[in-house]
Amino acid sequence: MKESLLEILRCPLDKHELELEDAEYADGDEVVDGTLVCAECGERYPVDDGIPNLLPPDMREETPA
Amino acid sequence: MGDDQADEDAREETADRGRPDRTTVRDTYDRIAAHFASTREYAWPEVETFVDDVADGSHTVGLDLGCGNCRHAELLADAGLETVVGVDVSRGLLETGRERARDRSFAVELCQGDAATLPLADDSVDLAVYVATLHHLPSAGARRASLDELARVLAPDGRGLVSAWSTAHDRFEDADEGFDTTVEWTLPGGEPVDRFYHIYAPDEFERDLEASDLELLEWELSSGNCYARVAGSR
Repeated sequence: MKESLLEILRCPLDKHELELEDAEYADGDEVVDGTLVCAECGERYPVDDGIPNLLPPDMREETPA
Repeated sequence: MGDDQADEDAREETADRGRPDRTTVRDTYDRIAAHFASTREYAWPEVETFVDDVADGSHTVGLDLGCGNCRHAELLADAGLETVVGVDVSRGLLETGRERARDRSFAVELCQGDAATLPLADDSVDLAVYVATLHHLPSAGARRASLDELARVLAPDGRGLVSAWSTAHDRFEDADEGFDTTVEWTLPGGEPVDRFYHIYAPDEFERDLEASDLELLEWELSSGNCYARVAGSR
């Protein structure tokens, strides 16, 4: 994801802004890894291999093997 | 009477089998993603017409909600939108979208998310397509919530297209009301995978759109699907 996408991405739960932590970049502003943290509720959402996972927490658990 | 009862039993059985939670829907599409995407090569003509009709220089952010392999995100990108966001519940499908974008050289920002709890800001989207996805949400409450969420993120002057499979399709000619069912997807090895659908009666589709926060501009039936053109909430 491009870092500029943070302008429109929001926490799915309370729609507050997200802050990017522990970011790893490629090609300038392309975020390949990191964590998006809701500025209001503190919920943490992973950016995994360039794709943010902004599913609400109850839908986010790993697929059972 | 006996036949009616048998029909009712069959319907109930279908409904019971067919009511997964949303995580199950996600897992289903993760399982079938690669094969599913390979059979979804072309954009739907109704979506092409919509994008042709409404896209103009004033639109900057596009959303393909339930983007799957991004065939409709590609239309939005080709229409000149600056940023196109593809949202899908399935990581597996998003990977097929990334591959298509790479192969065909269009730009899309991918995001894993739930249509009923969208991770996007109010009024942030100018042009949205929500195609063949609403009918996979496994409860009436989630389907209505997703329409309200689309209304929230769509700018008041923005435009959206919402489609769902309907009882008007030849396959469901005996049904006069909307119903829940499962439709089998057969993987290349022959393994069947059930997928949840809510098949909308056309008047039910219109009613749900009218009751939502979206502004319903017009709607039609085409190829057994309901299509609604909408604007965001004011």
